[in-house]
Amino acid sequence: MKRAIRIKDRHMWVFFVSPGVLLLILVLGFPAITSLSYSIKPEQAGPVSYTLSNYMNLLKDPFFSRTFWNTGIFVFLSVASHMVLGLAVAMVLNTALPAKPLFRLIALLPWVVPDVVAGIIWKWMYNPIYGAINDFLLRIGLINTPVEWLSNPALALFSVILVNLWRGFPFVMLILLAGLQAIPRHLYEAAGIDGASRVQSFFHITIPGLRKMIVVALALDIVWEVRRFGLIQAMTQGGPGVLTEVLSTYTYKQYFQFFRFEYASAIAVVMTVVLLLVSLPYIWMISQEE
Amino acid sequence: MRKIRTIGICAAVLLVAFSFSSAMAAQVSLRFSDWHLTEDVWNKSLNEGMDIFHKRNPNIKVTLEPVSYGEKETKYTVESMAGRAPDVFHVHAFSLPMFFSKGFAKDLTPFIKKEGPGFMDAWYPLPIKLMKHKGRVHAMPGDYMTMVLFYNTEMFKAAGLDPNKPPKTWDEFLAYAKKLTRDTDGDGKVDQWGFGTLGSKSPGFSMRFGPFLWSFGGDYLTPDMKHSALDSPKAKEAFAFFVELYTKHKVVPPGMTAMGAQDVRTQFAQKKVAMILGSGWTPPIVNKINPDLRAFEVLKAAPAPMKRKQATAIWLSSWVMSPNTKHPKEAWELLKFITSKEIELKWFVDNRVTSSRKDVSGVAPEILNDKFASVMASQLPYGKVEPQIKQWPEIIDTFTTSLQEAIVGMKTPQKALAEAHKRINAILAR
Repeated sequence: MKRAIRIKDRHMWVFFVSPGVLLLILVLGFPAITSLSYSIKPEQAGPVSYTLSNYMNLLKDPFFSRTFWNTGIFVFLSVASHMVLGLAVAMVLNTALPAKPLFRLIALLPWVVPDVVAGIIWKWMYNPIYGAINDFLLRIGLINTPVEWLSNPALALFSVILVNLWRGFPFVMLILLAGLQAIPRHLYEAAGIDGASRVQSFFHITIPGLRKMIVVALALDIVWEVRRFGLIQAMTQGGPGVLTEVLSTYTYKQYFQFFRFEYASAIAVVMTVVLLLVSLPYIWMISQEE
Repeated sequence: MRKIRTIGICAAVLLVAFSFSSAMAAQVSLRFSDWHLTEDVWNKSLNEGMDIFHKRNPNIKVTLEPVSYGEKETKYTVESMAGRAPDVFHVHAFSLPMFFSKGFAKDLTPFIKKEGPGFMDAWYPLPIKLMKHKGRVHAMPGDYMTMVLFYNTEMFKAAGLDPNKPPKTWDEFLAYAKKLTRDTDGDGKVDQWGFGTLGSKSPGFSMRFGPFLWSFGGDYLTPDMKHSALDSPKAKEAFAFFVELYTKHKVVPPGMTAMGAQDVRTQFAQKKVAMILGSGWTPPIVNKINPDLRAFEVLKAAPAPMKRKQATAIWLSSWVMSPNTKHPKEAWELLKFITSKEIELKWFVDNRVTSSRKDVSGVAPEILNDKFASVMASQLPYGKVEPQIKQWPEIIDTFTTSLQEAIVGMKTPQKALAEAHKRINAILAR
């Protein structure tokens, strides 16, 4: 009887874990496998059932290479600015600020606005005729003629990145704030006694103390920014030309506007591989901790 | 006693449940989806139409499902792939080749045959032709309108132009647009422009560019639809003319490449532009944006200007029955109803959209006496549709990309159009 109970205990975990695993397979695994199988099917029906032609066509597609480049710039600048602004705001919120909960709420507000809504609001703010930004800049005399924020080739992508900075920094701020609060205060006190300046404390205490949270924030933010879609689609649909076209909008276009399911799946697979590579440091760090 | 009471209650509950399910089984539910349900005026009109349908068909219950204009093809494609598309839905005619090729539209020919000979004679021939796939009718034609030039008569008068003499040629149009581009408040900055147009990669762009391209004598593709025709001198001339409205003559407001149809209508409603290309939907939407404009009084319509020949773009919508519908007979009754003479006239009276039915657009006094609809109807003989091929969405996106590059000065119009020509040929060669 005792032996029978031990066997039962050892295998009980299967029953608790199975529903979650099955759900993951259904929600994540099935679409991933379907996408992968679509990506190796020919676009036109023919004698060949499976082919790598979709991937070969990606390499030859000038729009894809431009899109890849745009995505790199968009992600790099967005993530870098999120980290800088997120850390700055987190450090301010980590001080003895009056009405701190109120400031935290205000700092979080951009993050709760859905992507598409943020895109539509900012598109109106950027409007050369009616927009609040041009109106303000004209009134204070900083510009003489309205700026075409979303139509000027030199400004379009950066205008979108600016909105993404506003929209995305609260997430990084939250993660880094949690990390800041975990750094023991006595380290700063001891450093102060030893004559360390604020800058020295920042680089020798704060940054090392935040190392793990920075990796977490970086990995998650990079993944999210590679996938950013609604904001760009609402503001520019990838234009002017292909200056603000990123992988997510390009995949969407191929899938849902051009109905090139096989080609779009190949782009999606490439995006997934890139994201997996980016996530490797995060996965390694988590596995080290375990 | 208690037992008898319990049995009695159970029996009563079972009876009610059975009656309810019987009633439910007798009543058929249909899902109907239309982007117009997101528009106030159309929403009211469609709901009224469904009330009439319900009264005449008490055994059919129609559930209305709104969808955004820009996302409708995406939604219907995904739902069709999942076998869950609405029973009846509304799309542009240019989406039909894709829906047909993927098998997302039910063959309506058997239903039409049951209606008797001559059933489809009530419709104009071109819409019927576009509803066919491999010789069989796979959708019912809906709204059928032409793009015309709308202009603000008050702004014309203020600029010293006669509102009864709208521009007839594109050269006249340019001269008018230049006069209408002015500084109205004396601060030394232009705050009113002659012409508002789309420049973004949004639905409706090709219908605004078509009147330019075709009246110059150019076209997007060769007649066999196997090659791009954008390398012809006439296509190049039309492209350069359109681009230079913005880059050289500056008669179009700034930010053109970010402007969609609603942005342009807003400019028109707010008297920032004096002329736009539009169709039946334009006056009610403009009126809704700014009732103070008194759109129905102040605006007028004229045929789209011409260069070498009269030509304009046709807008045609279509009603599709999903092949996944579990109630094809009832769905056909709904399709028949919404495309009937009575209800097509209602769509015009409520929403100012003309019909693909000859016995409505060609004869109804409500249309022939309407100052906007009469102009649109007069242009039907000059109307052209975009290429009805499944590559069209990719082709027009490629074209618009090149146009935007020319507009923002990244490339000259000649270079941008040459690149578009090359890319479109590559798309067609796949």
